[in-house]
Amino acid sequence: MNLLQQILNGLVLGHAYALVAIGWTLLLGVARLVNFGHGQMYMLGAFVTWWAVVKAGVPYALALPLAMACGAVLGAAMQRLMLRATFEQNLVSIMIMTLGFGYVIHGAAALVFGSTGQILDTALSRREFALGELWLTGQDLAIVVAAIAVFLGLKWVLDATRVGRLVRMVAEDPKLAQLAGIDVRRVYYGVFAFEGAAVAFAAGMVAPRTPILTSMGFDEVIMTFVVVVFGGIGSVKGSYVAGVALGLFTALFGALVSPAYTTAAAFVVLIALLVLRPGGLGAGSAGGVH
Amino acid sequence: MTALPATAATADAPPVLALRGLQASYAGNRALDLTALQLARGEVVGVVGANGAGKTTLVNAVMGWSRGAPRLAGEVWLNGQRVDAWPTHQRVRAGLLLVPEGKLVFAQMNVEENLAPAVAPPAEPGRHVYSRDEVYALFPRLHERRRHLGGQLSGGERQMLGIARALMMGPRALLLDEPSIGLAPRLVDQVLQTLRTLAAAGLAILLVEQNVRAAIEVVDRLVLLERGRMLLEGPAREVGNDPRIADAYLGGAGVELRA
Repeated sequence: MNLLQQILNGLVLGHAYALVAIGWTLLLGVARLVNFGHGQMYMLGAFVTWWAVVKAGVPYALALPLAMACGAVLGAAMQRLMLRATFEQNLVSIMIMTLGFGYVIHGAAALVFGSTGQILDTALSRREFALGELWLTGQDLAIVVAAIAVFLGLKWVLDATRVGRLVRMVAEDPKLAQLAGIDVRRVYYGVFAFEGAAVAFAAGMVAPRTPILTSMGFDEVIMTFVVVVFGGIGSVKGSYVAGVALGLFTALFGALVSPAYTTAAAFVVLIALLVLRPGGLGAGSAGGVH
Repeated sequence: MTALPATAATADAPPVLALRGLQASYAGNRALDLTALQLARGEVVGVVGANGAGKTTLVNAVMGWSRGAPRLAGEVWLNGQRVDAWPTHQRVRAGLLLVPEGKLVFAQMNVEENLAPAVAPPAEPGRHVYSRDEVYALFPRLHERRRHLGGQLSGGERQMLGIARALMMGPRALLLDEPSIGLAPRLVDQVLQTLRTLAAAGLAILLVEQNVRAAIEVVDRLVLLERGRMLLEGPAREVGNDPRIADAYLGGAGVELRA
């Protein structure tokens, strides 16, 4: 009984992890970029959604695209500043710069939104579904549906559309892509804008589960990192599987062992996996995005 | 552009590709210093020279492209338009195409995906945008292999795919960097003869070749590079008989040219 509820919790949490991580998966697969400001972008997405719903009275369904638009603009602006380092694949600079952006976003958000905790309440999160002794909220259900939809949608765009093909070309070989007539810079902008919009969307979906604070973001960036590496760099399917697996692991470990050590335990698993299977779960194909 | 008779148009037309004072240097070392070079419509110009003579640097500089980071200077004119300040993808869209040496196809995509143009090339007079059927007619082997990944193709098939992809972008000028490298002799002839066919249809081709003997068979003019400078330039027959070419590249025998 209790175990089934934990598995259900784990599935919801796992889809939340996967949804939060999807932008970074594409970013890493296409542009081989990291974004350690990812957690703060998540925080900002949550606060923009909260501000729109609570302060501006915008319906939740409109607050989400608003937060996504802010995330996309922020992502593109960050890419503008990092473009040179991106083309040079200067990962150390990019790591430091994105870390810095994270702090700037945190500081700016604290100035604008204050540093007290807020509750982002949606109509869905007040609605509860019970099945025997199992229960979950409408928001939980929405997270699972949204995560699956986003993953299937992204996979379809990458595999079956012209834009997806251009993105895969840039992912495999940006130099050769230039010779094929692709404006690689625009693809990089697009990918970073997608990262910003995706994490803002994830925040708007996932943040109603817990109180939100402008100081949050660390857990999100760490869990995203675990999902992305665990899933195999650039693998869309792999990061979905990794997200769900990590969610199940976290929920069961929290219930059966101790909730205090779940993050540490997730890292132990990650390190063990990297030693045994360095490419991650989605390994097998040589780089790129798939 | 309808009423003009073809002959008058060609007489007045600017060269398809014109290079002036083109220079490239890597970390301060001058790798290329080319005074001037022109390509006319339907002309095949071969660039030969030893390893490190600057052949690859030359074609890359024309594109403003490199896997390294050279410093470039000089003028590149495409069809009377100066393009040296343009980014590579814009030159490509204007009809300047390079089939690079080394990695030239997307290994994780199949032949059909490799061929699908990234952007629809503009329909302009003087540009023939090849259709998929046309390139399959030119290279039937690609049609047989159309479901295979780029990474599964042989060296010759990759060259064909690289050329086919360039053709589908509607090239005005096609630059090829050592298309014969690693190919069986029979395939070398086939690829080079295909270039002759393309030139007959009006394409201007700049061919970098290590295989001087094979190159002389198909080019109209030959350029010999040495340490980044043009040492010789002229009709293939004359340059092929020049002792500097004959001794160094043809074993001192000169060439018996086919009529």
